[in-house]
Amino acid sequence: MKDYPDLLTDVCHLAKLRNITQLDRVVAMRSTRLTALAAASVLVLTACGGGGSDSGSGGGEAQLTLPGVDEYLNAPCPEVGTKPATDKEFTYWSMWTADEPQGKVLGKAIRCFTEKTGVQVNVQWLGRKLLTQNVAPALNTDTVPDLFDQDVSQVKAAIVAPGGTQTVEDVLDYKVGEGDKRVRDVIPATSWDFPANKDADGKIFEIPYELIGNAWWYNKDLVKDFQAPKTVDELFGLFDKAKADGLAAVSQDGDIDFYNAYFYTQIAERYVGAGGLEKVALDKSGQAWLSDPNLAKAAEPVEKLAKGQYLVDGWDAAKFPQVQQRWADGESAYLFLGSWAPSETREYLSKQGGDKGIAYATFQFPQPDGAEHKVVEQLPLGFAVTKKAKHPEAAKAFIAYTLNKDILSGIPAVADNLTPRADLAVPDSLKDIKAVLESDAEHTIFMDGLDALSGGKWVESVFYPLNNDLLKGKLTAKQFVEGLAAKQAEFWKTNN
Amino acid sequence: MATVTAPAEGRTSSAGAHLSRKKRLFFPFFLPAVTLYVLFLLVPTVATVVLGFTSWSGAGDTPRFTGLDNYGELIASDAFRYSFLNTVLYIVAGGVGTFLLAFLFTMVLREMRGGKVVRAVLFFPNIVAPVALGMFFGIILVYRPNRQGLANYLLESVGIDAVKFLAPENITWVVTGCLIWASSGFYITILMAAVDRIPPYLYEDSDIAGATPWQKFRHVTLPLTWDVVGVAGVLWTISAIKIFELVFVLAGPGTYSPPIRSWTLGVYVFDRSFGDQGAPQYGMACAAAVVMILLVSVLVVLLRRLMRRDTIQY
Repeated sequence: MKDYPDLLTDVCHLAKLRNITQLDRVVAMRSTRLTALAAASVLVLTACGGGGSDSGSGGGEAQLTLPGVDEYLNAPCPEVGTKPATDKEFTYWSMWTADEPQGKVLGKAIRCFTEKTGVQVNVQWLGRKLLTQNVAPALNTDTVPDLFDQDVSQVKAAIVAPGGTQTVEDVLDYKVGEGDKRVRDVIPATSWDFPANKDADGKIFEIPYELIGNAWWYNKDLVKDFQAPKTVDELFGLFDKAKADGLAAVSQDGDIDFYNAYFYTQIAERYVGAGGLEKVALDKSGQAWLSDPNLAKAAEPVEKLAKGQYLVDGWDAAKFPQVQQRWADGESAYLFLGSWAPSETREYLSKQGGDKGIAYATFQFPQPDGAEHKVVEQLPLGFAVTKKAKHPEAAKAFIAYTLNKDILSGIPAVADNLTPRADLAVPDSLKDIKAVLESDAEHTIFMDGLDALSGGKWVESVFYPLNNDLLKGKLTAKQFVEGLAAKQAEFWKTNN
Repeated sequence: MATVTAPAEGRTSSAGAHLSRKKRLFFPFFLPAVTLYVLFLLVPTVATVVLGFTSWSGAGDTPRFTGLDNYGELIASDAFRYSFLNTVLYIVAGGVGTFLLAFLFTMVLREMRGGKVVRAVLFFPNIVAPVALGMFFGIILVYRPNRQGLANYLLESVGIDAVKFLAPENITWVVTGCLIWASSGFYITILMAAVDRIPPYLYEDSDIAGATPWQKFRHVTLPLTWDVVGVAGVLWTISAIKIFELVFVLAGPGTYSPPIRSWTLGVYVFDRSFGDQGAPQYGMACAAAVVMILLVSVLVVLLRRLMRRDTIQY
């Protein structure tokens, strides 16, 4: 029988295996049921003590030089850079719940902000659905929150489109509480200065505090002698090699439309550049799909993916997350997914029992032939201020304060996620993604923001059905773009 | 005489008093019910119809009158077309399947030993929430070589190739099947209650005459349960037009709307009201809801016509 410390160590290892971030697949927002698990993990981790004991036992999650959860939460509050002059309170509606990792980090930010400024923060932890269920319905009443958060794409579609926000451009010049450093000095422009983050007046409406990226994932223990592909041919070379080794090449949860859309948009973006696809999609005649031959060319690798049987057998006849679990089980070699892949698959594996872990590693889509744009997809999560806010000044001061190094370090430390800041520790499995996010590549948001067009109806009626058929091998690349042109012309006749 | 009339008068006056008391009580009983009904059913229904002619994104936004634009957009929209056709398919194919199965069981269950227990068991799926059923079928029907779901495991174990039940091209029929499985118990229960009312001597008589089970069904059971079948048909139509959860979780990942090809009118209304992205389009949702009301009205009237017949006394 095990003695107590051993047992505790095991529990701690298990907790780290699951690690505490489960909930960060923020786009996906499926995970309320995980909240309890995450909370429990945090509790256990607390018992494990702080101080860099993060030696993940999950196989692959190597030493993270991060402060422990405890250490972070108990650290003294940093000073507030720009203090609100008059506001004595403000209201914040949060996309997190109080007991999940990000909730804890922001909870600390709130405590510290009140401690340092005396400003009361009335926070409501509403969870991921807050935009359509809470903020949007409140917009035309007088009980709007001053501050709320969600990913840029959703905020734009649900709140900015009907004119519910005010710009936060002035926050860029607020001080973050590190000497004279202003917000614009600590977060790179790529994380906030892009079309999807601009309102009707061309001003930015959101300041990000967490970044989500995406990549091809593989298990270093499973895929040996890996060489990152530089061309699409090399990418298929990897797939062929995996098949020769008796694995399926790619896992793909085919029942999620927007997962299926990643392949084409990732390749096409590299031909037309950030924001290019959105322009094509907005062409009322639909002819833009045909006038640029590269758009059809970008569909060719997807057609090959389908017709060459690279997707794991049954990918289109299962329910999420069964197919990504098959990747975690080692049935297939590669998986294209957001930076939430480790937390989701780790959770699955830990539920399966055993001590099998994954040595997570990633690479980006290679540059297709003749494509001239280096593009990286990101999805910033951040704060926005409502147009009718009664205390915008305090809300904005709080935004700047959250970006203070000692506050924001909780996002990697507690929530195991990326921030826009370049000077914070990065979880191991996300290092490659962070590097490419910090590169000079053109930044665009996931799917070039196509999913926000016309409140999501464009992808739903025009893009997803045809893209699903392309990925199922029912269409050729040429038929795909012709279909898009025709459907799109039809779509814009009745939508705006 | 006086002694006779007096009670008679007394009776009349007490009857009159009773009647006037009854009249006095009429409004206290009538008004609350009608008020609630008007407030929570009639007004919202009328509001739905009115809002169907507007563009409105919810709380505080002023509805903008757009005439028939919403209906034009509905007709032009692929999503709506699929929703409408799928809903009709579920009502018709699901209905035919459910009732065939229910009739089959009425033929068998009446004479079966332990029929009551079987009846109770058949009713079970009806107790389970459709959302749970959807998730359950998602696990049963999964296609995964070497680790199949139960359905494909059974198929493979008798030497039949596994089927991709959840693939988009099959999903509508799979949902129909699940629907039949889940709802037939309810209709079996209703029909069996009607069958139990039929005097046993009619069946005994048929037995003596050497009738086959089919003949007994055709000439005894069906005519004598006809009115109940009609009511059950109406019940089915009304419940089938609302099909939502099963499709939502079985045809899609369960958190987002499934691909539009599997949508029903219920999914359409939900997506336009509370979809994942964008501001709600309550105007469109209301227009689609009006189409649902119209569709169910037409179908119910048709069904009543089709089933109309003099009641048989027995």
